Amino acid sequence: MYIVVIGCGRSGSYLANQLSKAGEDVVVIDKKFGSFDRLSAEFTGFTINGDATEIETLKSAKFDKADVVVITTDNDNVNAMIAQIASELYQIPKVMVRLLDPEKEVIYHNLNVITMSPTNLLVDKFTREIIG
Amino acid sequence: MRYKNIIRERYKLIIKYIGMLTMAIGGFLLLPLLVLPFYPEEVIYIEAFLTPAAIFFGIGFLLWKLTSVKDDVTLSLKEGGIIVLISWIVAIIASAIPFMITGELNFTQAIFEATSGWTTTGLSVVDVTKASHVFLMWRSIMQFFGGVGLIVVMLSSVLHPYGFGLYNAEGRSDQLLPHVKKSTKAIMYIYLGYIIGGTILYVIAGMGVFDAINHAIPALSTGGFSTKADSIGHWNSLPIEMVTWLLMIFGTINFATHFALLKGKFKVFFKNGEIRLLLFIIAIFTPIVSYFSLSGLYTSLPATVRRGFFEVVSAISTTGFSLDTFSNWNQFGVLAMVLLMWIGGGTGSTAGGIKLYRIYLMIKSVWWELKGYFLPPNSVVENYIWRGEQKLYIKAEYIRETANYIFLYMATYFIGVLIYLAYGYGLTESMFEFASSVGTVGLSIGITSPDAPVGILWTQTVGMFLGRLEFLVIFFAIAKIVKDAKYLATE
Repeated sequence: MYIVVIGCGRSGSYLANQLSKAGEDVVVIDKKFGSFDRLSAEFTGFTINGDATEIETLKSAKFDKADVVVITTDNDNVNAMIAQIASELYQIPKVMVRLLDPEKEVIYHNLNVITMSPTNLLVDKFTREIIG
Repeated sequence: MRYKNIIRERYKLIIKYIGMLTMAIGGFLLLPLLVLPFYPEEVIYIEAFLTPAAIFFGIGFLLWKLTSVKDDVTLSLKEGGIIVLISWIVAIIASAIPFMITGELNFTQAIFEATSGWTTTGLSVVDVTKASHVFLMWRSIMQFFGGVGLIVVMLSSVLHPYGFGLYNAEGRSDQLLPHVKKSTKAIMYIYLGYIIGGTILYVIAGMGVFDAINHAIPALSTGGFSTKADSIGHWNSLPIEMVTWLLMIFGTINFATHFALLKGKFKVFFKNGEIRLLLFIIAIFTPIVSYFSLSGLYTSLPATVRRGFFEVVSAISTTGFSLDTFSNWNQFGVLAMVLLMWIGGGTGSTAGGIKLYRIYLMIKSVWWELKGYFLPPNSVVENYIWRGEQKLYIKAEYIRETANYIFLYMATYFIGVLIYLAYGYGLTESMFEFASSVGTVGLSIGITSPDAPVGILWTQTVGMFLGRLEFLVIFFAIAKIVKDAKYLATE
C-alpha cells in the first residue's frame, strides 16, 4: 500500500515508523525539516519537506497514487483543507484525520473521511472510569 | 552495567547480520561452478571453490544460529557501518581463497585481486591468458556483487528491512521507491536488465557468449576485468567498442536517474546535474586529449578520436577498460586521465572517484557564492540542484560534508603517491596508478603486475578499499568498535 502521512509530529512519526517497519510504502510530509528527526532507523520511506497545503508538495508526494492519506498536523483548519483536497479532488479511497478540537468534527460530516479525536477518547475513557 | 548490556545486545545483532552475510558469501562462491557444464575439463578446480564455500557457509550459519537477539533492537548508521566493513573484509578474504588453493596467486596477490574485484577496480595480477574459465567467471561475479553492493543484494532479497543505516553505510544512498526493500529490488532489476541487454549486444557485435558475459558485467559494474590481456583492444572492432561505451556510461549513472529515465522522464534526466557535468566533461576532454596527446601516436583523425573517446569514457566512468597501453602517452594526456579518474562517476551508481555529484555541488557552490556577492544584503535565496526526480535544497552543511570528503580523498591520494615515490617509481606513473586505485578505475600504466613489490600491492589494496566504501564509514566503524571495546574492557 502507498501511504502518505502529513505532519511528522509525535503521532505522525510513530505511525510512519510502524507502517514502514511492516513493509508498506510510506511518504511523510512536514513543513519543518527538523521534524524528521523523530523518525527512527526503521523508517525507510521518503520524507518531503514542504507545506502540504501547496499543490506542488502534494504532487511531489504523488498524491494521485496514494491508497491512504493520514493527516496529523497541529492545525485543525489545515487538516480539514487537506482532507477535502484528498477525498474530493484526488478521490483517495481512505483519508484519515486526527481532530484536535472535537467540535470541528462537523466539518467532515459529508465527506468520506475517517476522523479520530484523542480528546474524545480520553473523555470517554475517564467518564466510564468515574461513572461506570 | 545497563549500558554494557545494551552494547552487548546490539553487538549480538551485528554478529547475527554478519553471520547472515557470511552465509551469502559462501553461496556466492558456488556461482562460478555454473560454467562447469560448458567446460567439463575444469572440474579439477571444483575443490578450490567448494572448500571455502562450505567453510564460510558453516561459520555464517553458526554465527546466525547461535546468537539470539531481542526483536526490538534496531541499528544506527554507525552500527550499519560496522556490518558493512566486516562483511566486506570477509567477502574479500573468502574470494581470495580459491586463488590461493590452486596456487595461482600468493596471499598478497590473491587479496589484491579479490579487493580489485569487489571494489570494481579492475587492476589485475592474474595472467588472463592462462587462467581457466571458472576463475575468469569468478572475477566477473565479484565485480557483479561489488558493483551494486553486498548490502543492496541482501536487502533486496532476504535481509530484514531494519537497516536504513546499512543501506546508507555502503555508499549507495539514493532511494528509488518509498521502501528500502522495493528500492533495492528495483536497483537489482535495472542492473540485471542492463547486464542481460549488454550481453546480447556484445554477442550481436561479434563476441563469444562467454566473453560477452564477462565483459558486460565488468562494464556495467564499472569494474573493468577483462578475459583478454589487451582488454577491449583485443577485438579491434568498432561495434564492440560502441557497446562498451554505452555500458560504461550506463554503469556510471545513478540508479535513481536511471529510474527516471526508464519511466520516460527525459526532461528530468537532462536536468540532472551529474548527467550534464558528465556529458560536458566527455565533450571537453575527448578533443583536447586526442589533440594534445594522441595526434602524434595515430595517423588518421578517426583513429585518434576513437581512442581518445574510449579512454576518456573509461576513466570518467571508472571502468578501466582500455584499447592499448598508456606508457607512450605524453604528460598532458596522463594528467588529463588522472583528473578524470579523480572526478569519477555518479553517486549511487557503481562507479568510484570523488563522484560527479560532489564536483557539481562544489562548482555550484562557488557560483552561488559569486552570485550572492552581487545580491542585496537581505535577499533570501534557496539554492537547489536536481537529484533523482526531485529538487534537493542545498544547506551549508552538505557543502561542508562534500568539502571534507574531497579533502580526505586528496589527502589519502597524496599519501599513496608518496609511498609509490618512496619505492622509486616516477611521479607520472605513481600519480596515474594510484588515482586509478583510489578511484576504483583500473587503468594501469604498467606498475601493477604480479611481480610488483608487496608494499605497493598493499598500498593499492587499501586505496581501493577506502575509495569504494567512501572513507568515513570505515573510520566511524573502527572508532566505534574501539570505543565500545574499551568500555566493555574497563570493568
